[in-house]
Amino acid sequence: MASLTLKNIGKRFGKVVALSGVDLHVEDGEFCVLLGPSGCGKSTLLNVIAGLVPQDRGTVELDSHSVDRLAPRDRDVAMVFQSYALYPHMTVAKNLGFGLRMRGVPKTTIREKVLDTASLLGIDGLLNRKPRELSGGQRQRVAMGRALVRRPKLFLLDEPLSNLDARLRANVRLELKQLHSRLKTTIVYVTHDQVEAMTLGEKVVVMRDGAVRQTGRPETIYSFPADTFVATFIGSPEMNLYRGMILHNGEHSVFQGRGFSMDIGDLRLNPMEGEVDVGFRPEDVKIVEAGTGKLHARVEMISDVGSEKYIHTRIGQEHLTLRATKYASFQPDEIIDLAIDAARLHIFQKGVRVN
Amino acid sequence: MGILFFVFIVAFPFYWMIVSSLRPLEEILMNPANLGLDIHKIDLSAYYDVLFDHGFVRYILNSLYVSIITAALSVALSTVGGYAVTRLRFRGQSFMSYSILIIYMFPAIVLVIPLYVIFSHMGLRDSINVLILVYLAQTLPVALYMLRSYFKTLPLEMENAGLIDGCTRFGVIWRIIIPLSAPALASVALYTFMIAWNEFLFAFMFLDTPDKFTLSRGVVQMAGSIHLSKQLVMAASVLITLPILFLFLFFERYLVRGMTSGAMKG
Repeated sequence: MASLTLKNIGKRFGKVVALSGVDLHVEDGEFCVLLGPSGCGKSTLLNVIAGLVPQDRGTVELDSHSVDRLAPRDRDVAMVFQSYALYPHMTVAKNLGFGLRMRGVPKTTIREKVLDTASLLGIDGLLNRKPRELSGGQRQRVAMGRALVRRPKLFLLDEPLSNLDARLRANVRLELKQLHSRLKTTIVYVTHDQVEAMTLGEKVVVMRDGAVRQTGRPETIYSFPADTFVATFIGSPEMNLYRGMILHNGEHSVFQGRGFSMDIGDLRLNPMEGEVDVGFRPEDVKIVEAGTGKLHARVEMISDVGSEKYIHTRIGQEHLTLRATKYASFQPDEIIDLAIDAARLHIFQKGVRVN
Repeated sequence: MGILFFVFIVAFPFYWMIVSSLRPLEEILMNPANLGLDIHKIDLSAYYDVLFDHGFVRYILNSLYVSIITAALSVALSTVGGYAVTRLRFRGQSFMSYSILIIYMFPAIVLVIPLYVIFSHMGLRDSINVLILVYLAQTLPVALYMLRSYFKTLPLEMENAGLIDGCTRFGVIWRIIIPLSAPALASVALYTFMIAWNEFLFAFMFLDTPDKFTLSRGVVQMAGSIHLSKQLVMAASVLITLPILFLFLFFERYLVRGMTSGAMKG
C-alpha cells in the first residue's frame, strides 16, 4: 500500500482543458472518491495516475516518489475499468493470473493467489469459464479480482459499478466497503454517482471542468459545500438555492429573494454588498402549524418515494422542495407554513461559501 | 435469374477447364464441342506431363514460396503498422493512413515499367525475392486498411488493462491484439496469399529463368510454346486454381467468427 500525492496536474486535449492544477493527497489505506459530472476530467485524472495518459505538467507521487517517468506496468497500480475490459480469449483463471504471469511469478504461486482471490470474491466456481459465459455481476467480480490478485500499491476504479443493475449495485457497494476495511488498501474511485461517493468515500473530491472544487469527508462536503456547484451537485433532492440581497433590519438580517423574504438570523458577517445565494437542504425545512411560520409556500406536487415524500412547492417566484415523512398528506394548492433553522443556511457570495 | 446467369458465367469456364484437362487428347481434337465427361475415359496423363515433363513441380514450389513468404510478411508488417496508425499518436499519422490508400490507387501497369527499369539497373531482376518485395508493396496497403478497421473495433480499455497488468506495447499486441484479431489476420493472410499466387504481370516482366517461374508465369510459358496442347494448359490451370479454392474453403470458417464477445459489459 502507498500514499498518493498529485501536484498541480494539468492536461489538455488539443484546445480542451481536461485537467487544470489538480492537487490531491490520498493517505495510505484511504478510500478516496473522485466525484463529478461526466466530462469533468475525473477519468482522465485516473488515467494520468495510472500512466495511461501522460500529463502536460505536474507530478504524480506514490509514497513521495515521483512515478512520472514510469510506464503503467512499472507503477504497481491496478485498475478496474467501467467496461471491465476482461481478456475475452482467456479463462477467468487466466484473466486473474495475467498480471502475475507478466511479472514472472512462479506458476504455483499464481495458482495459489488466483484461488485465494477467487474465493475472496466468491468466483472460485467460475475459474474455467470464459468471460462471455459470465453474467454482468460475475464479470464485474472478475475485473475486481484481476486488480486485487496482485496486491498493488494503489487501486484505481473507474465507475466499476455503473453497468450493474440497481439492486446488484447496492450489494456490491457494500461488499466493496467491507473489502476495503478488511484489506486496508489505498483506493481511488471514480464515479458520477453521489450515493456511491457518500457511502464509500473516506475522502470525497468533487471535480468540475478539470478542477477540484472541494475535498473533504463526505459529511463535510454535504454539510459545508464550498461553492454553489458542490451545494447543488451533492444531495438529492437538490438543495434549494436562491439569489437575492441581504438587508439589515435592526439586529436581524433578512434575505430578500424573488417574491419572498426570510429571516436569516444573527449572521456575523461583514455587511455584504450586492447579490448573494442562500441555500438550504430539503430536510432542513420544517413544516409548522398554520399561522406560526414566517414562510408560506403553496404545494405544487408531491413525489412519493416510499420511505418519505418530497413536497414540491412554490414560494414567491421560486421553487422550494422539502422532505416530509411518508405519513404527510397534502393537497396541491394547499398553503403550508415553513420554518427554517438559520444555522443550517448556506450562504454564497459570487458562488463561494461565506458562512 | 440474375444469380443463375452469373453462376453460369463463372462456373462454365471452370467446368470446361476441368473437363478438358481430364479428357484424352484425341477426344478433344476429334470432338472439341463435347462438354460431357465419360467417367471410363478419365485420363490423368495430362497432369503427369504438366507436373514432371514441364517442370510444374518446380513452379508450384516457387509459387508456394513466394505466396507464403508474402502472406507471412504482410500479416506481420500490417499488424504492427495497422496498430500504429490506429492507436499510437505521432506526427503525420493521418497523412500516413491516407497515403496508404493512395498508394493502392496506382494501377500495377503504371508501376511495372519504371520498376522494370529500376530493378534492371540495380541488377535485382530475375529474382524471386524481389518479386516478394513487389507483392508486399502491392498487398500491404489493403492489408493495413483491413487491419486498421478491425483494430478500431477492439476496445481501448482492454489494451489499457494489459498495459497496467504488466505488458509492454509489443506485449499488448502479441498477447491481446493478435489472439483477438485471428479472423482479421486470417483474411489478410488469405488475401495476400491469393494475390501473390495469382499475380501474373510482375512475374511475367521480372522473371526470365524458367527455374524461378511461378505457376502463372509457367502456364503462360507453356501456352505460348510451339506444340500447344489444350489439355496440358487446362491441367496446369486446374493446378493453379484448386489450391486457392481449398485454401479459401478451409479458412472461410475462421473469417466470420467474432472474437471479442464477453470482454465488455455486453
